[in-house]
Amino acid sequence: METLDRLGWAAGIGFVAYGKRIGIRVSTPDVLARLPAHLPPEVRPVDSPIVDRLYSLRVGEIHGARRVRHLHLLYAGAMRLARTRGLDDVLAVLEDDIQLYLAESARSRLFVHAGVVGWRGRAIVLPGHSFSGKTTLVATLVRAGATYYSDEYAVFDRQGRVHPYARPLSLRAGPGGPPRRCSAEELGGVAGDRPLPVGLIAWSEYRPGEEWRPRSLHPGQGVLALLAHTVSARRRPAATLATLEQAASGASVLKGFRGEAAHAAAAILSSMGDCGTTSR
Amino acid sequence: MKEPAREPSRELSPVARRERLLVREVEDELVVYDLESHRAHSLSRAAALIWRHCDGRTTVAELAALLHRELDAAPDETVVWMALRRLGKAHLLRDPVTVPSQAVSCSRRELTRRMAVLGGLAFVSSILVPEPVQAQSACRPDGAACISSTQCCSGCCRLIGSGLECRPGAGGCV
Repeated sequence: METLDRLGWAAGIGFVAYGKRIGIRVSTPDVLARLPAHLPPEVRPVDSPIVDRLYSLRVGEIHGARRVRHLHLLYAGAMRLARTRGLDDVLAVLEDDIQLYLAESARSRLFVHAGVVGWRGRAIVLPGHSFSGKTTLVATLVRAGATYYSDEYAVFDRQGRVHPYARPLSLRAGPGGPPRRCSAEELGGVAGDRPLPVGLIAWSEYRPGEEWRPRSLHPGQGVLALLAHTVSARRRPAATLATLEQAASGASVLKGFRGEAAHAAAAILSSMGDCGTTSR
Repeated sequence: MKEPAREPSRELSPVARRERLLVREVEDELVVYDLESHRAHSLSRAAALIWRHCDGRTTVAELAALLHRELDAAPDETVVWMALRRLGKAHLLRDPVTVPSQAVSCSRRELTRRMAVLGGLAFVSSILVPEPVQAQSACRPDGAACISSTQCCSGCCRLIGSGLECRPGAGGCV
């Protein structure tokens, strides 16, 4: 770490998110302008030099007559996270690691890897791994009138309510294609701003040509569906179970394969028809 | 001379494992987190009732009577044996249960029908609770540090210098 400290750092930022202080120092001030797009949705800037986690980003500079560009380097503490040619790549790793760190260490919130939308005063939670079609389904639900909460994490408080984690959606142009950031407003929707109780847990996975014919699961199986995607479950199992029990109690739980997102979205919203008391 | 192995009988009184488990009630079911294996199990109402009464004194016959009394199910020992087998496989009993051959005398279809009365075949559903990095979101680009190939967009995490990095291509992937 001392070696890193000696390198000389031109600028930096500090912020608090979910009770954790994070610092990022950079070797080139220009790169600071690109950082906000890669930070979590709810951050508060701080000036304090004391942080829980410090990132060091050394931008690869062009050297010599042959104009060779050095690799970009990213560290968390003394641990190297990335050594890449593309600045976009290293910023993606930074964003990924900040999210994982917060999801793993935040005490007041529980992070479950899931898409979330609001509908008639209730949250629809869509747990799933990357490439399971989660973001596509969230985007389709938002286009159909649901309120956008997250395409990445369902963030639960201790009462089991879901809070917004409304970073721009990361939509892929096609299988394996690069992601494109898109706000809820660009999709014709709005982002939620208040916590919601869970109305439905829809555990779906994309399978081409499949019709959405889910089976209904028990609430306990709903807890398992969320637990299977909870980042800090092993670290804090008791608190995790207590929160997820609150979240799943009273919620419907569906599981199945889905084909086109439009059909599944319509069916999911239809199954929520009787939930909640207020309009979206 | 060895005695022939005796089959377990309806007088068997199974004992539930209680150590190193976190248990939460979710409506009328149970969710059990095994702190040793980091597996989590959802016990249906019937399985939860049986497991709670696995105290080393209550016999299979008495468990069947309990199901009949509490859940209005037919007094069916076959269903109890099936539930005990699933609980044993989930390591929620001190000792695994061997179902006696005469205990399952009905057809599979009949067994399914009887279990459906008690909420279906899913007596015990189980998952392996993920490590934080497994619950992580997007894949990592080339050059990013990794610990397994599943983290990498390229599908390959390999040793580069002194550390593991995502790199394209096959061979040498961890």
